[in-house]
Amino acid sequence: MRLAISILIAKFAGFLSKNILRKSGETIPGKVLLKLDSSAITKLSANRKIILVTGTNGKTSTTKVLTQIVTKLGKTVSNGTGSNLNWGVATTLMKKSDYAVLEVDELHLNNVAKAANPIAILMLNLSRDQLHRMHEVKRVADRWHELAKSLPGTTFIGDIDDPFVSYALSGATQSIKVSFGGKKHQDGAVCPACGKYLTWSKQNYKCTCGLSNKNPDQEFESASAALRNANLANVAGDFLGAKPIAINESELERSVLRNFGGVEAKIRLTKNPASWKEALSSITKSQVMLVLNARQVDGIDTSWLWDVSFVELAGKKVVVTGDRALDLAYRLHVQGINSIIEKDFSKAIDSFERGAEVDVLAAYTAFFSLVKA
Amino acid sequence: MSKINIVRIHNELLGTYGDQGNAEVLVFRGKFHGITGNIIDVGYNDPLPTNGDIYLLGGAEDAAQLLSLEALNRDRETLDLVIERGAVILAVCAGFQIIGNSFWAAGKEVAGLGLLDVSSTPGTKRYVGDIKIKSTNLEIDLTGFENHAGKTILGPTAVPFGKVLVGHGNGDGKFDGAINGNIFGTYLHGPILARNPEFADLLLNRATGRKYSQITDPLAVQYATWRRKVTK
Repeated sequence: MRLAISILIAKFAGFLSKNILRKSGETIPGKVLLKLDSSAITKLSANRKIILVTGTNGKTSTTKVLTQIVTKLGKTVSNGTGSNLNWGVATTLMKKSDYAVLEVDELHLNNVAKAANPIAILMLNLSRDQLHRMHEVKRVADRWHELAKSLPGTTFIGDIDDPFVSYALSGATQSIKVSFGGKKHQDGAVCPACGKYLTWSKQNYKCTCGLSNKNPDQEFESASAALRNANLANVAGDFLGAKPIAINESELERSVLRNFGGVEAKIRLTKNPASWKEALSSITKSQVMLVLNARQVDGIDTSWLWDVSFVELAGKKVVVTGDRALDLAYRLHVQGINSIIEKDFSKAIDSFERGAEVDVLAAYTAFFSLVKA
Repeated sequence: MSKINIVRIHNELLGTYGDQGNAEVLVFRGKFHGITGNIIDVGYNDPLPTNGDIYLLGGAEDAAQLLSLEALNRDRETLDLVIERGAVILAVCAGFQIIGNSFWAAGKEVAGLGLLDVSSTPGTKRYVGDIKIKSTNLEIDLTGFENHAGKTILGPTAVPFGKVLVGHGNGDGKFDGAINGNIFGTYLHGPILARNPEFADLLLNRATGRKYSQITDPLAVQYATWRRKVTK
């Protein structure tokens, strides 16, 4: 079957899914297309420049920033809503463009990259996340490293303060290594390249095998995770010939504001120990809600809660909700922090007064259901 | 009021799957019993303290597991001394494999510390999911989360830690872990002591040589009961 006909059928399937099943319509067309033509991503990637963005945290927001930068160079498409598996990529590529900036899941990166042959891949960071699916951080890093070795025509851009990214980039023929003067990595006790104990001096690491964050190609000042990622987007944009955009830390999108029955909620996405730490340090209000589910994309194991210190919440009013509210409540309890447990989100909201301003930290599925509400 | 030292071994290496919480739960439960728990974190380059009452090992990736074993072999004499003294050891997942006779990591077989008569081999599939076992010591159900590819075979002198009700445990789906006196090995993350406060109390009893009466912590009971109910 010709690609054009496959696309027509896939688009029709997407139309049905969107209008009859009321789904997002971002997954179905790609799924149908790849069923009809397994090499659709390769075909649709020809004659345009593809840039992939991957990493444990910050994929969606960095993809948005990079799309904004690249759009100035020509028509650009992006899977900006986070549909980041191969079918989400296929759906996005069904639209014609000069450029495609695509966020890709850490484990799906190799398949997508080998099919799309991107001009550049931006690697943000790698840390423990959804271990029921990823199994081991090192396993993901090995796949990235292997990918870098297999794509000599692709430029790999990444934050080498992260030893896993640094290891991945070390396999690349072309790379742009970026450093922000170092950052201690929670999972960085072992050298991902050689397996030796990794020596850290404050924020910087150096292994006897040669892996280190010294001698980057570009160096920036130390920055928050969001600011790092925005700078990395500028580096990728610069590589493509786009002018960098001014980055204002306070304007970087981290949270979404919603009003629930008179309660002003500032909702922030949290996924894993690294992102919970960032989010907890950003809490400014004295009333907090934590929402935790453990559905597939959230990670079905909640053990990682014990890798996070919730000490920032001491003295605040804390309400916990979601499928796994009890896991959170007991974790907080052992740290000496009392919380109110509400199974139901609307009841959780009712436990705040009207007009209250509440910091809401919500894990993946909870975040998206709240933001859509 | 008694005091105990809780030694968290190589958390930087054996802390990938949340098991560091076991130490916090021991301190927390200890408070109810009037026990002051002091957590001592031991890094890869630090000597193993001789004054521990409870020693904890957690889950890890292969390279980290090998580094931890290397460091513990360096401190073999201390370890033997500590065990002779009757200290409690709780080893989870990669930690459990380390204290067995042998295990596989990064594609090769290595000799373990031999504290438990078990040997682990790489399995053909990974066991990932909720697990429930009937505990040998407590005659109650313990719940947790398992995430490992290794299969563990019990030697002739090994006693299983529990009988598998849900999940895979040592890989045969029959038993999980192994025990030898005060040495406990298991595949249960969760962390295991957070999910099963009764087991934390058992370890505290063993470490102090006293039998503490039951305590009331409704939230702990609610959490443990709920996990037992939903793990099926």
